[in-house]
Amino acid sequence: MTPQERLESLLAHNTLVVAGGVAAVGVAAAVVGCFGVLRRRALVGDAAAHATLPGIAAAFAITGRRELWVLLAGAAVSAIASLGAVTLIRRHSRTRDDAATAIVLGVSYGAGIAAISGLVARGVSGSAGLEAFLLGSTAALTLEDSLLVAVISVAVLAVVLAGLKEATLVAFDPAFAAAAGWPVGWIDAALTALTASMVVAAVPTAGAVLVTAMVVIPPAAARQWTDRLPPMLAVAGLVGFVSSLAGVVASAVVPKLATGPAVVLASSAAFLVSLGVRLLRTSRRPSGMSEP
Amino acid sequence: MTAIVELHDVTVAYGRRPVLWNVDLAIDEPCLYGIIGPNGAGKSTLVKAALGLVPLSGGSVRFFGRPLDDVRGRVGYVPQRESVDWDFPVSAIDVVLMGTFHRLSWFRRPGVRERDTAMACLDRVGLADVASRQIGGLSGGQQQRVFLARALAQEADVYFLDEPMAGVDAKSQERILRVLSELRDRGSLVVIVHHDLRTAASWFDRVALVDMRLVAAGATAEVLSRENLARTYSGHLDLLDEIGRAMQTGRRTR
Amino acid sequence: MMVWPMVVAAVVSAVCAVVGTMLVVRRMSLLGDAISHGVLPGIVVAVLAGGRPGGMLSTVGAVAAAMLTVWAAEAIRRRARLSEDAAAGVVFTTFFAAGVVLISLYASRVDLDPGCVLHGILELAAADTVPLLGVAVPRAVVNGLVALAVVTVFLAATWPAQLFAAFDADAARVVGVPVGFATTGLLAMTAVATVASFEAVGAVLVVAMLVVPAATAELLFRSLGRVMAAAVAIAVAAAVAGYLAAWRWNTTAAGMIAIVLGLCYLVAVLAAADGGVIPRLAGKGWLAWRVACEDVLAAAWRREEAGGNAAATPAGLLFRLAGSWLRLRGKVEGPTDRLALTDAGRGEAETIVRSHRLWEAWLGRNVELPVDHLHPPAEWVEHYLGADVRRRIEEEVGPASSDPHGREIPTERG
Repeated sequence: MTPQERLESLLAHNTLVVAGGVAAVGVAAAVVGCFGVLRRRALVGDAAAHATLPGIAAAFAITGRRELWVLLAGAAVSAIASLGAVTLIRRHSRTRDDAATAIVLGVSYGAGIAAISGLVARGVSGSAGLEAFLLGSTAALTLEDSLLVAVISVAVLAVVLAGLKEATLVAFDPAFAAAAGWPVGWIDAALTALTASMVVAAVPTAGAVLVTAMVVIPPAAARQWTDRLPPMLAVAGLVGFVSSLAGVVASAVVPKLATGPAVVLASSAAFLVSLGVRLLRTSRRPSGMSEP
Repeated sequence: MTAIVELHDVTVAYGRRPVLWNVDLAIDEPCLYGIIGPNGAGKSTLVKAALGLVPLSGGSVRFFGRPLDDVRGRVGYVPQRESVDWDFPVSAIDVVLMGTFHRLSWFRRPGVRERDTAMACLDRVGLADVASRQIGGLSGGQQQRVFLARALAQEADVYFLDEPMAGVDAKSQERILRVLSELRDRGSLVVIVHHDLRTAASWFDRVALVDMRLVAAGATAEVLSRENLARTYSGHLDLLDEIGRAMQTGRRTR
Repeated sequence: MMVWPMVVAAVVSAVCAVVGTMLVVRRMSLLGDAISHGVLPGIVVAVLAGGRPGGMLSTVGAVAAAMLTVWAAEAIRRRARLSEDAAAGVVFTTFFAAGVVLISLYASRVDLDPGCVLHGILELAAADTVPLLGVAVPRAVVNGLVALAVVTVFLAATWPAQLFAAFDADAARVVGVPVGFATTGLLAMTAVATVASFEAVGAVLVVAMLVVPAATAELLFRSLGRVMAAAVAIAVAAAVAGYLAAWRWNTTAAGMIAIVLGLCYLVAVLAAADGGVIPRLAGKGWLAWRVACEDVLAAAWRREEAGGNAAATPAGLLFRLAGSWLRLRGKVEGPTDRLALTDAGRGEAETIVRSHRLWEAWLGRNVELPVDHLHPPAEWVEHYLGADVRRRIEEEVGPASSDPHGREIPTERG
């Protein structure tokens, strides 16, 4: 097939729905990611992301089914378990935070790899498809799958926007929030759980290894354009939207190109442009007050 | 008469190791109240314990004779300036608005009334003209005044301020002190963690000297006596420290 | 089962453990993660230019890519108002994605497949051999040993600087220790370790090899030298065990090695003698037991002092057990609710009461606390005062004085 034929076939196959689902994931992941980046916990999602793999493999091995909702349910369980493990390590051992994250990330990824390879080596039918979750692939997404991830994304987005006041307060000044009587621990856990949900929903698109970029790079790009939170959320959503669509199209047109890396490179390009524009603007205005 | 704030035999430990021992303190009338002591004496910990931000390993705290959770809305707080990220994408008015949040229920956004309150509070600390500026672009003194304005927006009866004068220019200090005095004159209690003895004597009506334990409390001139200061600043740290370490390990001292 | 793949796994694990120990103690674990991802485009470009995945050219490419990763993350952190972790997150995902895209685009020309990047192929790495002293030794073993030598020599040469930088980087800089050189070199060594293990475990799992052995060893030992030795031992043992497990259950060796490492870490978290979960729980239990025994003895002493008509032995299961134990040891006698001291128990009981009253006296002098608030704190501190501290308190409150309630403080027994 020539690239043009591939593009046409892409447009033929439920594409708008699939693209819509992926774009919704891009937007919601970017918006919820803003809070992780601002709370200086950008890489918390990375441990959860790598930890989706053993959950996916286990869900498949136990149920023998490979509908997306079954696999993502498994992924959600193991992602949340991994965040719990990081918290337990931090609380009950001398290991420092950064090492705790790296340990959970590395070990759970290893477990996922071992489980998937084991299933493939036994020739379990359909297990080879699980490898698509490593680097992401939208080619195999069905209509139902797209709807599923779109619904998760819209729900997460709705919760974040509804709780914007609470989330901002806790992200900016948790001590003040606690003194004023807000349940900081629960709000914090909710933000982390929302991030984990988006990581899980984005794994089919971007893959476990790179999905963390979808909650880090668009917020990082958005931060370059504005000094206020609501516009930052909007710009991050836009970057997430455009880069996930660009990634889907690129991976459909270029043979053998996985979706994850394509999405990441698209958002990196958006980040570079954003940073370049800001540096140009502030250098033209040397007394720029946005520089501390 | 019920005290405004009453700490009853409060002990705070990090792990099992106490950092603040058996503090008994009652403040029963509106005033400027200084919490004074050397670095690492547990002054901030005392305030955090009063506000329920660190767990008590012994004792109890009451406000107006009731547990804190019943009267949260009457208690305002200004944390240390270094405790937040000043690069955070919020403007001065956004920060002050946070002081009104506790009057709004879950998921309700601040409206015109809250905005007006916040603006009035910014004006009281002399920062109305930088309301829409990102907070990282403000000077240290201005940042501290934004924090103070946020506490004003809480419209509380008791205020706790953690080192509000640290790294603040003279003009801001004067402004902050004026606002705090106004609060006192209107009948609020203002508790201020402070480390500078020279200014403490002239600023505060009453003080508590703290050094891992409460050394003395009462009228400023009486408490800041030579003897009390010697006890605070040459203190018994080593003894408390040694016992604290023993408690951490669960064994006896030497 | 074959021996050579196991040797490959052991050698590269050792290299990673050595470098990883420094990363972990210097709190650079996530930088290690970033670099192990960031080196991918360097390796791919080197392979496209005709290098071998573990060879010299790809080492050069990987070190260059690692330096670029670190430089870019630092530049972004400073220029883009982002925290360190966000800046690193932007850079390493971008670099890794670029590497994967390069592989996809030049798939026909590159001798790399995505599987190698994602989890390594140990058997393949062991199959490519070179003759050495007449034996066909896998190239990966030779490369790994060279990397081990390079890493060891570098760390030995910069050891004082690494140690100082780990302890207090600012102070080290002030006294002129080349912290920058030590740090940059360490990052380069991370790249070297990643390249050496690339074929065997891939670019993603390296982070487990780098961080987990060192984090495990750190829970078991305090001195850096021992931590490093233990990390290497754990890494090699996990490599062998992981390879055998992978062979037994027919799956990827790299994944199984990571699982074994995770189990090692779990055991250390639970059982480490110093700070492990189980020893700490045991310590808590032992403390509660000691406090209960001492409370029973002190109550008996007070009853004796008051002439037998004071409060009964404290009630509750723990105190009953403690009472029975003390009776068994011959320190108390009499009915369970009114235990009396024997001569053997009296000395110990007196010491506790002495500690209690000394502390009340000290608090009365040094803390603004009403007299009726003194008992509870002393009830708690009495269990922690040793003879030395008791003597110091007595010197301060004056010898042979009484406690604030007017009761006599017993004197120290020999």
